[in-house]
Amino acid sequence: MQVKWRNTLKNGWRYAALAPILLLNGCAGNPYWIFDPKGLMADTNLFYLLVDVGIMGTIVGLTALLVVWFMWRYQKGKNRGKYDPAWSHSNTIEVVVWGIPIIAVGFLSYFAVTGTFEINPYNPTIITNHLKPASDPVEVDVIATDWQWLFVYPQYHMAVANELVLPAHTPVFFRLTSTAVTTTFFIPQLVGMIDVMPGMRTKNALESNNTGEYQGIASDYAGAGTSWMTFKTKMLSASDFGQWVQRVQQSPASMTYTSFNNYADPYINVHHKVAYFSSVQDGLFDHVIDEVMNGKTWPIPPMMTENMVAYMQKQNAEHRD
Amino acid sequence: MLVDLAGGWSPMLGRLAWSQIPYDNPILAPLFVAVVIGAILVLGLITYYGKWTYLWKEWLTTVDHKKLGVMYILIGLVMLFRGFIDGLMIRTQQAWGVGSHSSGVFGALHGYLTPFHFGQVYSAHGVIMILLAATPLLVGFMNIIVPIQIGARDMAYPYLNALGLWITAAAGALIMISLFVGDFAHNGWFGYAPIFELQYSPGVGVDYWIWTMELVALGTTLGGINILATIIKMRAPGMTWGRLPIFVWATLSANVIALTSFPALQVALALVAADRYLGAHFFTAGLGGNLMLYTNLFWIWGHPEVYFVILPAFGMMSEIFPTFSEKPLFGYITMVLASMAIAGVSWLVWLHHFFTMGAGPYVNSAFSVATMLVGIPTGVKVFNWAFTMYRGRLTFNAAMLWAIGALFLLLIGGLTGMMLAVPAINYMVHNSVFVVAHFHSMLLTIVYAIFASVIYWFPKVFGFKLDEFWAKTMFWLFSAGTALVFVPMYMLGFMGMTRRLDYVFNTVWHPYLLVMEFGIAVYMLSVLAFFALLYVSIRDHAKNQVGADAWGTSRSLEWLTHSPVPFYNFAVLPHISARDEVAWRRDNGIDHVQPDHYEDIHMPNNTGVAIILGGLTFVLGFALVWRIWWLCALTLLAIIALVIYRSFKGDPGYIITAAELEKMEKEAMRREAQVGKQRRQAGSGVLGEAIAYERSDLPPLVSRPSSPVGLDHRS
Amino acid sequence: MSSHASNVDPKTAELWDKSHYQHDVISTRTFGYFMYLLSDGMLFATLFAAYGVLSYQHSYFGGPTPAEFVKPWYTFAQTMALFFSVLTYGLGMNALKHKNKSGLINGLIAAFVLGVLFLALDIHDMMHLASLGITVATSGGVSAFIVLTQVHAAHIFFGLIWILVMMAQVLSKGFTTDVVGRLLTLRMFWHLQAIIWVFVYVFVYLWGYMS
Repeated sequence: MQVKWRNTLKNGWRYAALAPILLLNGCAGNPYWIFDPKGLMADTNLFYLLVDVGIMGTIVGLTALLVVWFMWRYQKGKNRGKYDPAWSHSNTIEVVVWGIPIIAVGFLSYFAVTGTFEINPYNPTIITNHLKPASDPVEVDVIATDWQWLFVYPQYHMAVANELVLPAHTPVFFRLTSTAVTTTFFIPQLVGMIDVMPGMRTKNALESNNTGEYQGIASDYAGAGTSWMTFKTKMLSASDFGQWVQRVQQSPASMTYTSFNNYADPYINVHHKVAYFSSVQDGLFDHVIDEVMNGKTWPIPPMMTENMVAYMQKQNAEHRD
Repeated sequence: MLVDLAGGWSPMLGRLAWSQIPYDNPILAPLFVAVVIGAILVLGLITYYGKWTYLWKEWLTTVDHKKLGVMYILIGLVMLFRGFIDGLMIRTQQAWGVGSHSSGVFGALHGYLTPFHFGQVYSAHGVIMILLAATPLLVGFMNIIVPIQIGARDMAYPYLNALGLWITAAAGALIMISLFVGDFAHNGWFGYAPIFELQYSPGVGVDYWIWTMELVALGTTLGGINILATIIKMRAPGMTWGRLPIFVWATLSANVIALTSFPALQVALALVAADRYLGAHFFTAGLGGNLMLYTNLFWIWGHPEVYFVILPAFGMMSEIFPTFSEKPLFGYITMVLASMAIAGVSWLVWLHHFFTMGAGPYVNSAFSVATMLVGIPTGVKVFNWAFTMYRGRLTFNAAMLWAIGALFLLLIGGLTGMMLAVPAINYMVHNSVFVVAHFHSMLLTIVYAIFASVIYWFPKVFGFKLDEFWAKTMFWLFSAGTALVFVPMYMLGFMGMTRRLDYVFNTVWHPYLLVMEFGIAVYMLSVLAFFALLYVSIRDHAKNQVGADAWGTSRSLEWLTHSPVPFYNFAVLPHISARDEVAWRRDNGIDHVQPDHYEDIHMPNNTGVAIILGGLTFVLGFALVWRIWWLCALTLLAIIALVIYRSFKGDPGYIITAAELEKMEKEAMRREAQVGKQRRQAGSGVLGEAIAYERSDLPPLVSRPSSPVGLDHRS
Repeated sequence: MSSHASNVDPKTAELWDKSHYQHDVISTRTFGYFMYLLSDGMLFATLFAAYGVLSYQHSYFGGPTPAEFVKPWYTFAQTMALFFSVLTYGLGMNALKHKNKSGLINGLIAAFVLGVLFLALDIHDMMHLASLGITVATSGGVSAFIVLTQVHAAHIFFGLIWILVMMAQVLSKGFTTDVVGRLLTLRMFWHLQAIIWVFVYVFVYLWGYMS
């Protein structure tokens, strides 16, 4: 029942949102990622967005109309409405003007609280309450460096840089940390933002029933390379995912604690380079957190990108991979 | 004890070196030349017209709250322009550097700003707009209007008032000099831990950011104390709490926030400084530091600060709507309660700035609901303004248009604010340009209210009105710019575009970014319209002179005294009998009753100490940024010595005798009578003119006052 | 009901003040100073909050904790010095009530000497810690410990300068409104620093020692 209501709401909105987009972009697909969710988490976010905008939009819209009507009716010299120079108080109106916001806020508070629990990144009930007994969640350890993403798949003892590949119809649980500075992990069509902090561990989760390719973004400023710190997220069918895992596991490169130290040096991923690591030293994620808590840093040279062209020449000359 | 620095350091010059001057930067070097030429030109003109003594005696050493307020507003306007140019640069970079095939110049891969510079530009934009444009503009208005509205001759502490101004000016100078000496922070106006730590920001940029903000915080705290003491201690007889003008209430609530919240900012930044200068571990990721502590401390100040700037704007709107609706404010008591409620709740909501940090669902829920509570008093305010118009007689002059613009922006900002208050929505748009569009809606509400107030109170301070045509032209251009920039920005937010991208990877966003670039060009036109407004208004000032009640429908006490306000505000302090005192006197036909006799009044002397302290503070800030320790010690000692010197010298003040007072009052009344006469002859249908200037008992003005623009002041 | 309704009859209303209304200079000044102290209290509250967050076991990161380097009796001596400094200042102010200049000066001198004693003990303690290698850079917890206590010490330092200035002003100017007003505000300042010290002593030194 609730699901049906949600779908009706969402589809209606989607068509409305699509209209101007079709005009602008022809058939390029919906550029409004927030209105075009492809996963359970993002879907739930949109539902609450529609509820909130529905309620508040009605109140704000009516208020705006009221103001415009007063402006028209009581314009000086037009004699449309009665002028009452002393009128400045009415208990009835006071009750109404306090009552409307109180009721609206009370109503929205209910949704705010339920929504917070449904998509709580640490334990999203929208996913965890519907886990199928046989389902086999995928775990991904996310390590953000300056300025790349490393996705470690502990179940498969492998890692991928700057590309996230996941099976559809399967819950995915993330643990996230960072080496140097704070940033935010965000895949607009799949899951909302969660901060990624050095020396700390945050969590997130997602589940999607749609295969396809979605954009991932580092959505918090982390320094010079932030704008290029993007990653593609590919949702594959179970069999495709299995094949992909095998492909990664055949790659020659591997990631150890020592090689990670070099990997985590500042690097601007201008060409969106993706790297596969067939093996990863166990416990890399916890090791990174420990190292950072012990005071390990990956400093940035002064005025590093004052001249970006020169910096790129330097970075390319170093042949870092 | 002090940290080791990556770059060079010498005992004499600290970190300062020739290489820190960006003389090879294709944007900054020409700008520097232009600034130098401009400065020489201005200084030359002052010398040529022999205005140095006037400037020093009348402005730089003044303790008159009106002149200090005017200077606050000037600083605010200059910084608003600088911040606008930063905004223009951000928009241009994002309109240019889109997609991997976009071109790049000046060392940038895409667009014309490298990440190193882009980060500085938007950080400076934020710091300037919030702390050095909005805050001084609002403090300026509080300074000018509050003492007159409560019937006082000056602030409670005129000297402290001057000190607050000059410390704010020092902060402005510090952020300006960071353009040409060294660099500025790239960590955004609120800073992130641990990116501002020395390892990740080795330059002096973050230090400029720390000390600029510290100085503003100091100046604003001093100002807040002064304004609170003024409101509580300096009210005229009869000015009970229930009769206090609504702008004073708004100011009171705002400054309660300032007084209690700014210390949190001061501490947060001082601890960042401890990390960067002494190698402490407050906000480092390792060695026992806690980077989330910074975010909490900052926003414990940061959120109340939002209301510190919005509440006075609400107060301004609450003054302007009644005047041009020719009706009292609807629900005065509710408005006061709403202001106080907003001030109170502002302390309970800081965590909504980082719902994505991973606090548990219980914490996030609590802060979400607390945040929505703010919507209740704010909603009440909007309704009350609407019902102030109800059964009114509305005049849509420029001031009213700006105020109405503020109201509609507030509606949009409120709608989107209620969205952001819900964590389930917030996760999707938290660091996106949707948030940027939201808080620009709110801050532009303030800017609209400020321009409304500039137009509304300008005649009170200077004695003539601003030109209606250009004020309205500017309003429409500004509004078109606002729509063209921020509607696409909201749309981009729903497309998932995140903030602070110096390179935009998604070409689908390009058309929207181009529309925004066009919008910023329209904003530029509105800036030109503002200059035209000032030029035309000053050129035609003789035509637009006004009397005490400039709008004819004004209500609060500031409209009782002459325009321009004499330096002593009121020759005899008024005795207050009603909430809207001027409206009450006008309605009862006693608005022209003047005091029958005058008495000596005691006024504070001017002092050069405040501006010298401001200058020393600037040098101290500069020395701290560049770690020139001997200069720090020297300026600190000089500051202490000067404070002690001032304390010994004291200020006995001076006396204006009753006879002098009577002479000045007669002159002012004569001028006002003349204004009324001119008006009638010209036949201009100015509001309320008939009742405001009907004085035939005074002889015509013999000679025109020598300087109608200036606020006459004995030196 | 009109918002500017007034019960006052406009025909007989007093429109201009005839009461020679004066603002009380000392009352206005002490009120403003009280508000400054409020913001100073907020400053310390924020520092205490930071200390609270940074006083968990992991904040010391395996390094020295206050339990290892705090000497409660030493700090108790500091406490006594500051308390008696406030007391003697208060006795001096009592002399002021009787217009007793030498009594006031004696009180100020005693307050100054005891304040210097407090500060000397504090500086000695800090130097001792530094000799053990415990500095602000040791760990997050120690950073918070040192910054909080030394911000308080800095307040004491400026208070001592102020006491000196007031001694000079009392001697050179006598009991003018300005001087008496300043003596009152300095008393508020000195008292508040002692109150804050109570919190520092209990929550930072004693609590740190015991945990």
